[in-house]
Amino acid sequence: MPKLIKLAGDAAEWAEDIFTHVGDDDALPEGDVILSLARFQAEGEILLSNSRRVGVRIEPDQEVEALAYDLPRLSVVALAFPKYRDGRAYTSARLLRERLGFTGEVRAVGDVLQEQAGFMVRCGFDAFEPNDGATPEAWTKAAHRYRHVYQRAADSRPTAFEEREAFEERAV
Amino acid sequence: MYLYDPIDREFLIDRSNEFRHQVARRLAGELTDDQFKPLRLMNGLYLQLHAYMLRIAIPYGSLNARQARRLAWIARTYDKGYGHFTTRQNIQFNWIKLKDAPDILDALAEVDLHAIQTSGNCIRNVTADPYAGATAEEIDDPRVWSEVLRQWSTLHPEFSFLPRKFKIAITGALTDRAAVKVHDIGLILRKGRDGQIGFEVIVGGGQGRTPYVGPTIRSYLPAEHLLSYVEAILRVYNRHGRRDNIYKARIKILVAALGAEEFARQVEEEWGKIDAARANLPASELARVRAAFAQTNFEALPAVSETFEAARAASPALQRFVRNNVKPHKQSGYAIVEVSLKAIGQTPGDATAEQLEVVADLAERYSLDDLRVTHAQNLVLPHVKLDDLPTVHAALEAAGLATANIDLASDIIACPGLDYCALANARAIPIAQDIAKKFADPDRAEKVGELKIKISGCINACGHHHVAHIGILGVDKKGEEFYQLSLGGSGAEDASIGRILGPGLSADKVAPAIDALVDAYLNIRADDERFLDTYRRVGLEPFKEAVYAQAD
Amino acid sequence: MKAITANRLIDGEVVFWKAGAWVEGFGDAQLFDDAQDADVETVVAAAKAQPTVIVDPYPIDLAPVPGSVDGGLAPVSYRERIRALGPTNEPTHGKQAVGGEVIEALRHAAGAARSTGRVDLIRRK
Repeated sequence: MPKLIKLAGDAAEWAEDIFTHVGDDDALPEGDVILSLARFQAEGEILLSNSRRVGVRIEPDQEVEALAYDLPRLSVVALAFPKYRDGRAYTSARLLRERLGFTGEVRAVGDVLQEQAGFMVRCGFDAFEPNDGATPEAWTKAAHRYRHVYQRAADSRPTAFEEREAFEERAV
Repeated sequence: MYLYDPIDREFLIDRSNEFRHQVARRLAGELTDDQFKPLRLMNGLYLQLHAYMLRIAIPYGSLNARQARRLAWIARTYDKGYGHFTTRQNIQFNWIKLKDAPDILDALAEVDLHAIQTSGNCIRNVTADPYAGATAEEIDDPRVWSEVLRQWSTLHPEFSFLPRKFKIAITGALTDRAAVKVHDIGLILRKGRDGQIGFEVIVGGGQGRTPYVGPTIRSYLPAEHLLSYVEAILRVYNRHGRRDNIYKARIKILVAALGAEEFARQVEEEWGKIDAARANLPASELARVRAAFAQTNFEALPAVSETFEAARAASPALQRFVRNNVKPHKQSGYAIVEVSLKAIGQTPGDATAEQLEVVADLAERYSLDDLRVTHAQNLVLPHVKLDDLPTVHAALEAAGLATANIDLASDIIACPGLDYCALANARAIPIAQDIAKKFADPDRAEKVGELKIKISGCINACGHHHVAHIGILGVDKKGEEFYQLSLGGSGAEDASIGRILGPGLSADKVAPAIDALVDAYLNIRADDERFLDTYRRVGLEPFKEAVYAQAD
Repeated sequence: MKAITANRLIDGEVVFWKAGAWVEGFGDAQLFDDAQDADVETVVAAAKAQPTVIVDPYPIDLAPVPGSVDGGLAPVSYRERIRALGPTNEPTHGKQAVGGEVIEALRHAAGAARSTGRVDLIRRK
């Protein structure tokens, strides 16, 4: 199992993973679990009512809108990258944060590489299961490689145009 | 011209440092080639047949003299003394070493140039009308919106891993010099009924394996909503574009599969959910970008220049140059000057370091420090005083840059083809050279008139052959080069996709076939009809006969 | 006959395998006859596994150059001949700049398939 990296403020650090990824045919273990969307839709109600924490894994061809009504009860939404080149999870993450108001953990799973750290953090991911052996130090560095960003996203970084405006106000 | 501020500059430095780090890891063996390839591609660095090729972005085809001189310096220092301008208004260097690439990116960053997003499945360099800010027919300056899109799309966190590459082109004029109808998104600036400015939005045009003229999905989008609307289009594409088959992954396939109406409906639905206030650019930033392009230093000049009139009366060469390469300017006493990179027998779109420096000097002295690249692989001095035209013409002539053939048969678009490109099936450059020689006589070329010949060395269609009046596609048959001709395409405002003429021809038969097509056209054209219009009137048959009929 | 080619990682230069090393000239390439296909596979597999010297190694087919008296060989595919020479539009760029017999032979080699292309399809009435 890959180790889990989580954001704590601006820095990334190792975190203990209290969740178990449970396949559709696996026996249900004790404790907190991350399930597929199908298994969540079938068994989620019962699991949530027996005071476990529950997360759902969303594949790229599944729409996060399917979780809209359940989000307040979910602890984790894990978004899958079958290949790092498959960019659909970036949209899913932004929609979770910016449109559906999800405040729990958004975790990147699958082909998760440090070269993608900056994009992921900006889209609202805050937990990562790196596939390339990245350390939290490497992750933090990769996520902050750029001093400026040009567009609004799910993070709170000021954009280039906001920085310019602030600079001009200071000058006045 | 838009000038980079400290924020833009720090961004380029960060980019360059990141790539230097990645190259070092690759050379040390810490990254495999599979891991490194997408990283170098994101910096425009390809591995071609003989060396690495670096594709440098020239946003909306606009350069100043300092930037052009730096490109010349790179050509001389790191390449073999020349560069190749492309159909995306970029420049490519063919002989780059991987170990030099980080130094080159640093040298580019010093003059506000970069190679960001010149490859990869992301939003590529935005292209625009090369006459922007100079032509009288312009509704609004497309560079303003291109720059807005450039910044917005740069390392976009959500749209850097799209199903496939994504190209946007903008024109502010009705005459389309940016081929907007064959782009993933084409934007035409329009005046609204309220007098405000907006865009006609075309989505899903394209060339390559499956060419389409894009449908209009919205006839009028108020300009200030551009970013939110483009975000909606990209989001629908990112979620629903095909990822299972590289040949079916462009947005054109999605638009065609859904139908333009249903695609438009999905975009509008998504657009309705976007928080416009957050997604659109604040008016203050738009005003800042707009102000950067406002050209305030034109002189008040009479519409007629006595110096120029006297010079052209005395020089048939200048007269010919003016007829073909000089276009009307919005400002009285000024003209737009096209600099042809299609001297007969030359590699289309190539410029030597010396030529780049000549053009840089001319741009600085005679064109308000402004130089443009066209998608037809030529250069433009957009703001030349009529008084200066004779001097500019003489300087261009001395540098081998005064070929008076813009839009004529020898002004041929050609991709690098099999002489350089790892994807090519056949050569394009020597075919272009052969054809140009058939039109070396400028009187004949002018008699034929506008004739756009475009050559691609493979089905990816970098040479725009689908939208050529005469298109030529190189194919490989058992290790030998063959060429398929098509007629009747256009990448302009009357966009259309060409139709295949007949079976492929071997390399030595292409130029004679073009000759035969042109002779047939001259025999049947009515009045001053262009080749394209004659074809549209009479169809393929007379041309088929001209090429494939047995000699008597 | 076969040879093995690749591009050098650090500068992209076209290289050919020669008994344990990568060399720049096609004329210096080690030749493998049809009985040595297993050796070719071994070299290519080992080349793919090395991390930092070359990228993308693969075997190329060779054929005799027509009219060559000494049995000179050239790559069958046109693409490979251009890789061994340099771009045809700039005859002084790339490997061809050195000139010599091997370069001349490569320039005059022909592909496996010779055909003139079909014209004369329509009978004039």
